[in-house]
Amino acid sequence: MSLPTRFGRCHPIHCILPPYLLQNLARNGPPDLRNIALEVLALDSTIRSNRIICSMMETGAHPALAAVAKHRTVYTANNSTTLPGQVVRVEGQASSGDAAVDEAYDGLGATFDFYFDIYQRNSIDDEGLYLDATVHYGQRYDNAFWNGQQMVFGDGDGELFQRFTISLDVIGHELTHGVTDSEAALVYSGQSGALNESISDVFGSLVKQYQLKQTAEQADWLIGAGLFTDRVQGVALRSMKAPGTAYDDPLLGKDPQPAKMGDFVETSEDNGGVHINSGIPNRAFYLAATKIAGYAWEKAGRIWYETLRDTSLTQTTNFSRFAARTVINAGHLYGTSSAERQAVIEAWNEVEVRVV
Amino acid sequence: MRIEVRTEGGLAYFPGLSKPVIVDSAQLAPADAAELERRVEDAHFFTLQAKYSEPPRGAADYRRYTITIEDAGRRHSVQYTDLDAAPELDSLRRLATELAHKQGGG
Repeated sequence: MSLPTRFGRCHPIHCILPPYLLQNLARNGPPDLRNIALEVLALDSTIRSNRIICSMMETGAHPALAAVAKHRTVYTANNSTTLPGQVVRVEGQASSGDAAVDEAYDGLGATFDFYFDIYQRNSIDDEGLYLDATVHYGQRYDNAFWNGQQMVFGDGDGELFQRFTISLDVIGHELTHGVTDSEAALVYSGQSGALNESISDVFGSLVKQYQLKQTAEQADWLIGAGLFTDRVQGVALRSMKAPGTAYDDPLLGKDPQPAKMGDFVETSEDNGGVHINSGIPNRAFYLAATKIAGYAWEKAGRIWYETLRDTSLTQTTNFSRFAARTVINAGHLYGTSSAERQAVIEAWNEVEVRVV
Repeated sequence: MRIEVRTEGGLAYFPGLSKPVIVDSAQLAPADAAELERRVEDAHFFTLQAKYSEPPRGAADYRRYTITIEDAGRRHSVQYTDLDAAPELDSLRRLATELAHKQGGG
């Protein structure tokens, strides 16, 4: 068989074992074969994608007709900082019994399903990107991050923070950084960085709301609820409904998020306040969603999603420009005289980002 | 030897955790001071470049660390992130932070 050069020629190693057999071996095989199967399943997504394309071209199917499917791999760093680490659970495997592993696996799945069910988006890049996460990163590591390719979760120190896989919205938040990078690619600094952060909070919260089937009125609009231990005086990392009220603790300090432009924080810390000033667009989304009412992912979420994909956004888009595009996109989606467009205008005006 | 560790970034900004932590080896128990100095040597701290590579495009919520050491008339600062952390340097940071908290300097 001779294939177009774009896809390369299928090497037998990549085409010989069907995924179901590998997954059966990974689940039920003897330990030595199980480990080999896990390693093969964890091969880089380019190789696996090529294998799928090879298979489809042999049968005459077009790649665009490929079934949308999740491909999750969870690794453990074993408390080192080496990434990605050792494979511990692949797509289709049963629960591992390790809470961090299983929460990461389930959170990746919930986020994938949310984007596909609601916005027909095929994974993070809309091209079926394989989803990778590493848990047990570092020692007493109090954080989670997106390294540009995968998610990384610390176990927390147990004194202030619990493990960072515990909040579904945090998993949705991190994966949405990947979505933003493949769409508007907002620069991670200043107002564009705060928008980048806010978009991750918006869709992270919507992933949780969608799983709980909560309306805008029922949702808690908190980011990272459950992350703090009982010793912390606070409920979450941030509140989209009431920025600046999530915690007030002797060790952590007071939540510094502003809720309106008049309180915008000029700072060189935190990449120019990306996690601080995100409170302003966060509250604008909360206001728009509650004014529209119902499930926030259906209309307010759709308006924000289409704005994130709006090709007129630049990488350094500021609050004002983003807000103006949400109004325009609300008009495109629901009409220039619609209640939805009016709700978006009022929401931005309330946080003192003037759009009209 | 005086070591200052400054931490920025992460999934959220906490004012209480963004303050620099400071440890002075002269104020430590001899064994702790010796271990701290050994880790400074293991990291080849005074020969390291001031700043490691810039984070890759799209990366977010990682932490940025700045370690500054003053010792015998020398002063040097090194900045790195979770994305390019050398194990020896990160080990020095963790110990300095732990000892600073023990010493009441952070």
